[in-house]
Amino acid sequence: MPDGSTNLTPFLDAARDGAAAFAGAGTGWVDALRRTGADAYGAHGLPRRQDEYWRYTTLNALAEGGFPLAAAGSVPAALPDAVPAIAAWRFILVDGRFAPSLSGLDGLPSGVEIASLAETLAHEPHKAEPTLGRVADLAAMPMVALNTAFLGDGLFLRLGPGIALDRPVHLVSLTTGGAAPAMIQPRHLVVLGDGATATLVETHVATAGGGGFTNAATEIELGAGARLHHFSEQGEDTARVFLSGTSVALGAASTYDSFVLQRGARIGRSEIRAVLGGPDAECRLDGIYLGAGEQVIDNTTYVEHAAPECRSRQVYKGVLDGFARGVFQGKVLVVQDAQKTDGHQLSRALLLSRDAEIDARPELEIYADDVKCSHGATAGELDETAMFYLLSRGIPAAVARRMLIEAFLSEALEEVAGETVAEHYAGRIRDWLAANVADGDAQ
Amino acid sequence: MALLEIRDLHATVDEKPIINGLDLTIGAGEVHAIMGPNGSGKSTLSYVLTGREGYEVTGGEVLFDGKDLLDMAPDERAREGVFLAFQYPVEIPGVTNMNFLRTAVNAVRGHRGETPLDPMDFVKYIRERTGDLNISDDMLKRSVNTGFSGGEKKRMEILQMAALEPRFAILDETDSGLDIDALKLVADGVNAMRSPERGMLVITHYQRLLDYIVPDHVHVLANGRIVKSGGKELALELEEKGYAEFLEQAA
Repeated sequence: MPDGSTNLTPFLDAARDGAAAFAGAGTGWVDALRRTGADAYGAHGLPRRQDEYWRYTTLNALAEGGFPLAAAGSVPAALPDAVPAIAAWRFILVDGRFAPSLSGLDGLPSGVEIASLAETLAHEPHKAEPTLGRVADLAAMPMVALNTAFLGDGLFLRLGPGIALDRPVHLVSLTTGGAAPAMIQPRHLVVLGDGATATLVETHVATAGGGGFTNAATEIELGAGARLHHFSEQGEDTARVFLSGTSVALGAASTYDSFVLQRGARIGRSEIRAVLGGPDAECRLDGIYLGAGEQVIDNTTYVEHAAPECRSRQVYKGVLDGFARGVFQGKVLVVQDAQKTDGHQLSRALLLSRDAEIDARPELEIYADDVKCSHGATAGELDETAMFYLLSRGIPAAVARRMLIEAFLSEALEEVAGETVAEHYAGRIRDWLAANVADGDAQ
Repeated sequence: MALLEIRDLHATVDEKPIINGLDLTIGAGEVHAIMGPNGSGKSTLSYVLTGREGYEVTGGEVLFDGKDLLDMAPDERAREGVFLAFQYPVEIPGVTNMNFLRTAVNAVRGHRGETPLDPMDFVKYIRERTGDLNISDDMLKRSVNTGFSGGEKKRMEILQMAALEPRFAILDETDSGLDIDALKLVADGVNAMRSPERGMLVITHYQRLLDYIVPDHVHVLANGRIVKSGGKELALELEEKGYAEFLEQAA
């Protein structure tokens, strides 16, 4: 509870003071939703170590507040090279605001909506009303509650029943680094009707350094039999605090398949909460993270098996160098009625330096009696025997180290094999290895 | 000048002396065999010569082609032309044999001032060296040694040797875990590599391998030094009498 002596609810005043000017203000349910967000965040405050899902990542860096909402900046003439050129419906945000000039949304098939959420709230709020704010559990996700207090711009993607989107949707979020470090609160809403199929590729990159704060929230609702492939690359500036909270509601026999590559930010956190709400649903959460310097990279997942005969599988693999710290917290909850659940979870971390650290807490909580569940976590160094084998064939030490690290990551990367982003992600990993695993490194 | 000259070598593992004053000279074109009981220091010698971490040289010197071998990093030794066929080849899931072989061959070629081979040329290069080793395309596409049988692993070691064209090869218990057909296949591969420019050191516990890879010289290793040297007939003598006699001599 806020006690007034220190600021436990930074940014709250900014949200409340600005509410009258935010998109869709004056629409009753929009105003009410923002108030609900503000109240939930106000009651909880900034997450602390006592919070179950924030045990290993502190947000002290945010306690001073100090990040104003990013002003509308200048939109670059072209996308930076860091953004993969994939054939896709392109939806571009610049400093949290939809940038139509960089986007490519002409000729959308019927039954497909890809729009700015802010514009939707301003002009057609009824389209977002049935879902927005109803998937996320604000009590469990205080930073998503803060995002809801701002409820700003972002992607609104809606597919009618049975629609199979022909190309991926590429959501690019650029941060340009203005005069002073600023904050963005992007909000995305994805609604797939029964039997609809789509691929969503997210790319988060900075066009300039300077830090700042991103607090993104995404709500995804999948109808019966719907399928969403969701890829996300977090390649932010290493001075930035980047938080992403994704909430997924899976209908019967639907599939949510997520892959997160985190390599940027000073504090980078991806939190995914998925509720398998109908029988025969499937949820796959995979990820790779690469940390160096003093980065903290956090992957937190919560998968709730709320219906019988659902499957979930998670594989997260990370490489940590320097003083970097990785966090994996994963919880699988199986309720009493969720019989025949198949749930697996694996976290593996490779530590390249003595000062690197991983905090891993895989957790199973099972109330049904007929289930197949497993979890595991490992942390270790490069295998000396394998290293010597490569050296004994004349392969230079740095090259050998990079080969073994790539091999370690390959299992997780196989999850994206054949996808449009596979080659791009593999290239990103190679770039990181070239920059961080150099010839001078000790063996 | 001898290809390899080991002078009064002493080495420890975990501070325990294993090699205790070993002298051995191997000329180009020669095949030497080292035989000895378990714990005599055979594998330690192979790791000391290839520079494995944890094998501490406490005295003596090793000259390879006149250069100080012990002063070189393990990968440098390999690029200079020293090769070890492992007793237990290492499985590396996630690294394909082709990628592994090409990276190694190009590292060695670069050191020799030769141009690197692109993937297309490399397939040809490897195909020219698989010879009768019975190595399928599928084996080359799979991860290094991962899920391979004992025989497949040893054949891959010989292919690596053929690909890297070392000037000095150590074969550490290459016969272990092989049935007679597999042993012949591997021995043929080794014999094909014998040449006037290349020296070999065959380390083995049993005489059997030396029926197929016939050495020029045989040495008996006991308690970390060579206690007897002779021609190929020494191997047969050992087979007959066992090591006990030599251990007494060494004590």
